[in-house]
Amino acid sequence: MKNMNLRSWLDDEKHLAYVILIPAISLILTFGHIPALSSLRLAFMKYNIKMPGKIGYIGFENFVHVLTDPDFHASLLRVLFFLICSLFLVLAIALIFSLLLNQEFKGLGLIRTIVIVPWAIPPVVSGHMWKWIFNGEFGVFNGLLFQMGIIEEYHFWLTGQIPALLIASLIFVWRFVPFVTILFLGVLQSIPKDIYESASVDGAGIIRRFTAITLPSLMTIGAIAIVLTAIAGFNVFDEIFALMGSQEITQTPMIYNYETTFIMGRFGRGAAMAYLTGLILFCFSFVYMRMSLKEQDV
Amino acid sequence: MISKRKTLQTAIIYSLSLILLLWSLSPIIWIFISSISSRADLYSVPPQWFPSNPTLKAYNTVLVEGEGFRGGGGQSASTLIRTGLFNSIIIASCTTLLVMAVAPLLGYVFGRLRFPGRNFFFYLILALIALPGWPIIIGLFPMMATLKLLDTKLGLILLLFTYRIPFEMWFMTGYFRSVPSEIEEAARIDGCTRLEALYKIIIHMVKPGIISVSIISFLHSWNTFLIPLIMAYTLQSKPLTVTITEFVGQYFVQWELMSAATVIAIIPPVIMVGIFQKYIIKGLSAGAIK
Repeated sequence: MKNMNLRSWLDDEKHLAYVILIPAISLILTFGHIPALSSLRLAFMKYNIKMPGKIGYIGFENFVHVLTDPDFHASLLRVLFFLICSLFLVLAIALIFSLLLNQEFKGLGLIRTIVIVPWAIPPVVSGHMWKWIFNGEFGVFNGLLFQMGIIEEYHFWLTGQIPALLIASLIFVWRFVPFVTILFLGVLQSIPKDIYESASVDGAGIIRRFTAITLPSLMTIGAIAIVLTAIAGFNVFDEIFALMGSQEITQTPMIYNYETTFIMGRFGRGAAMAYLTGLILFCFSFVYMRMSLKEQDV
Repeated sequence: MISKRKTLQTAIIYSLSLILLLWSLSPIIWIFISSISSRADLYSVPPQWFPSNPTLKAYNTVLVEGEGFRGGGGQSASTLIRTGLFNSIIIASCTTLLVMAVAPLLGYVFGRLRFPGRNFFFYLILALIALPGWPIIIGLFPMMATLKLLDTKLGLILLLFTYRIPFEMWFMTGYFRSVPSEIEEAARIDGCTRLEALYKIIIHMVKPGIISVSIISFLHSWNTFLIPLIMAYTLQSKPLTVTITEFVGQYFVQWELMSAATVIAIIPPVIMVGIFQKYIIKGLSAGAIK
């Protein structure tokens, strides 16, 4: 009888919902919201984990320090350069790939499987893989250029700031293209075929059809893709860390933050930096959430 | 005229396909070739495109009998890779099982039930996506220390699982809404409770969605690096992504072993992609949130 009561108690919409939600919300709060708030508190403290004796509140000093830190400015410029290269490449390559995958041909299934592979493998592992490819002494990239007669001798590609950032960007692009390709493909497949047919009957050539039908329908998803690529690119850590460690020439805010917080132990300053860069990212996310919540009504 | 255009179109399609194949696979093929090359072939200039005597020696070294490493704190290659592999398998499969169990429940709660605070809870969970990662990670370290979860597999599983909840919820809510509710109502009239109806009937209708979120969660937890880099410091909990990185010494890397370890780390995701390609595409496109 007691069992019966529990059964009907749990069958109530409210009870059932809360029984499921309480554990989920507790996890979200414990590992998400509460740590975020506690690092906000750290941001106003002098808190070096290696100097436990000198912990205390210092107001906005951490923020001022980060904002006036030339190394931090340099890291922002690096990530900006990285983002501009990546955005352009991701969008261009993903557009071409999605147009290809939207055709019907023999072997489409295989190609569609293979296009996802770079997205699915561990980013840090792909960082190591590309590091070997661009190795200065024995790397295959050198070998290829050498055998094609483009270079006279092997180069160390990862010693200059611009080449190293370009290679880091290439690795990110390689991982992120599949995702954007799939986003584009979803939209391309939703365009009814007969629009193209009637346009073609009206005498529109392939280029006209592309600019008049295909491109406009990709506008919304294109905007979403730009925001998502910007967020992901700004957050890149694994690939750069595998490629260069925390060397200064490719130190983006994420790498700099890792070094400040977890290598030097400056949790207070690191938290302030995390909130400042987080503010930039939050603007991106906010734009994105607005766009995608419009798509799916909650 | 028509057939000429058709031929041109086919030629363009296949040359683009070839470019796509080269773009996606050539780095992986090269790392595979490196892993079965002898050391002499590997360090030859210009490169030896096809190994003169293919050998599985590197795999033997990283999996069975390894040598010591300067980079890995003196631990042998095989200890690092085998333990990392074991930890990765445990962490990724437990996370995936949790996701499989919880995803239909969350989808059901937000897709079907009406209760006070529904929107509040929805946005509370969704906010985790909008919150940037670093502020959380920095505050998380003291939190994990307090909970005694630093450097444990359980801690990593809980973290990875928690960070998948928003995506699961978003994706499964949409999925439940796309499934008609008549059959469920009929079952309710027949005396099933909500949970019974969910597990006996609806579960079969939302199965593809559950597969999508589970596979994507598996890939995320297999691929994770930053969280264990910070939260794990012994072989008790370090996954493969972290132990591979320790292979890289400060001045010296044994690339044939590195390549073999890399191939081992990418085999499971590649198999997953091969089997579940359709579900992954669905998961990626329907819930375009990371």
